[in-house]
Amino acid sequence: MTGAPGAATRDHFFCFTCLFVTRIMVTRIRSFAVVALLLLGMGVAVTPSATHAADGEGELTLEGIVNNTIIGHATDGNYLNLKPFGSPELPRIMLARTAGGNLTIDAYGSTKSLLKNGPYGLMHHGDGADGGHADIITDPAQIEEAIASKEHLHSSVARTSGHVVADFSITRHFVLSFLAFLIVTGVFVTLAQRYKKGIGRTTAPHGTLQNMMEVMVVFIRDEIAKPNIQGEKWRTFLPYLLTSFFFILVANILGLVPFAGAPTSNIAITGVMAFMTFIIGLLYGSKDHYLELLTGPPDAPAFVRVILVPIEIIGLVMRHLALAIRLFANMLGGSLIIFSLLGLIFIMNVVFGQAAAWGTTVISIGFTVFILLVKLLVAFIQAYVFTTLSALFIGMSVEEHHHDGHESDSSTGQGDFESRLDAVEDAVEPTAA
Amino acid sequence: MDPAALAYLAAGLGAGIAAIGAGIGIGWLASSSMDGAARQPEAAGDIRGLMIVSAALIEGVALFALIICLLLVVLV
Repeated sequence: MTGAPGAATRDHFFCFTCLFVTRIMVTRIRSFAVVALLLLGMGVAVTPSATHAADGEGELTLEGIVNNTIIGHATDGNYLNLKPFGSPELPRIMLARTAGGNLTIDAYGSTKSLLKNGPYGLMHHGDGADGGHADIITDPAQIEEAIASKEHLHSSVARTSGHVVADFSITRHFVLSFLAFLIVTGVFVTLAQRYKKGIGRTTAPHGTLQNMMEVMVVFIRDEIAKPNIQGEKWRTFLPYLLTSFFFILVANILGLVPFAGAPTSNIAITGVMAFMTFIIGLLYGSKDHYLELLTGPPDAPAFVRVILVPIEIIGLVMRHLALAIRLFANMLGGSLIIFSLLGLIFIMNVVFGQAAAWGTTVISIGFTVFILLVKLLVAFIQAYVFTTLSALFIGMSVEEHHHDGHESDSSTGQGDFESRLDAVEDAVEPTAA
Repeated sequence: MDPAALAYLAAGLGAGIAAIGAGIGIGWLASSSMDGAARQPEAAGDIRGLMIVSAALIEGVALFALIICLLLVVLV
């Protein structure tokens, strides 16, 4: 490995070009920050013997792979990852409680200036796993060293006096979701102005963009909104469905763009989107929906209702939770697979040597390209699924039942079934005869 | 046995079993929807849409399991 630096850099280059395409990001929610820190620890634990296989090439050890490559991409960091062109840091905004008990807002331009100018220190992550209380590094020399090795971007910070109440720092996923928002807004404001002028209404839609978007908008209206939402109510919810579809689509596709990443692989973002669906369902919920939710099915005996009502309520919450987790896990899962495949090259290099690494490169890159294509498909499918399920859930809560009595309802159902049977018999008879 | 090793083992086995479950579920779904589409080709479009939604629901359960496995590995 050290013997053939040329091959190593080429390997490196290969990997980087592909690593830029996707990256894993875990959320800023605290448990996931712990996850990221512990992944660091895991890197040390995996192969204590193999880590020194390539001295001087920090990134080519297993520890280096986990620390510098995966952690850098796996977490929702406070910097943009434009690796060969540097990694610009993003502002840090902390709501903190001082030792005196007052709430303050600490705003700094970057993590670097936060550490240098603010009352903050780096958390020492090495002992975090077993110790429980980690010590804070405030020594300027040590902080300089951490900044020089970019270590401060992968560690968490803590206030030296008092504690941080909430971290409102601008993160990469925030920036990327904002980018997705700007793209969607830009495209649709432009198109809306065209429709205002009459292009597409009085004449045929003109240009690739307008045609492409009109196909998708019409698809969502006719295939997602209309069938799932009762009567004419789909008109109320179509704007929300279109917004969520195009935002998710653009966000997912950003995950395939070099230097960017999928904001939807952050559970905070998918959680907020699922929460919006939930809130819309609650706000626009019909009386029938609430009656059935809170008192059980209309013709059920009392003891069944006692069992069913909690189940209904839990089910309502769970299906929106599942909505968030499905999108998040799909986007994260795709990136994880790619990382596993690309990481295999480095692991082979460390464990079996260079020849094995070259052999693996061919296979890994092939599979990675395949997975990237699958991710493109998944980007569309997940946007479709999220929108369809949103429409379904909203449709379920706004649905109003027929109030002309249960009997007539069931009899029409019966009649419908019988007429269908007749139709089937008519269809079958001639072929039988 | 080392608890960390047990956790890794559990995560690996759990991911495998979740994959088996989701595979069987989506396999049945695909087989019946293909049956349906073959019997009634004019309904193939509707069936496809329903299939994707049901597949997403099944997949969601498998992904729950997967996240738990991931947490097992990472939080051990």
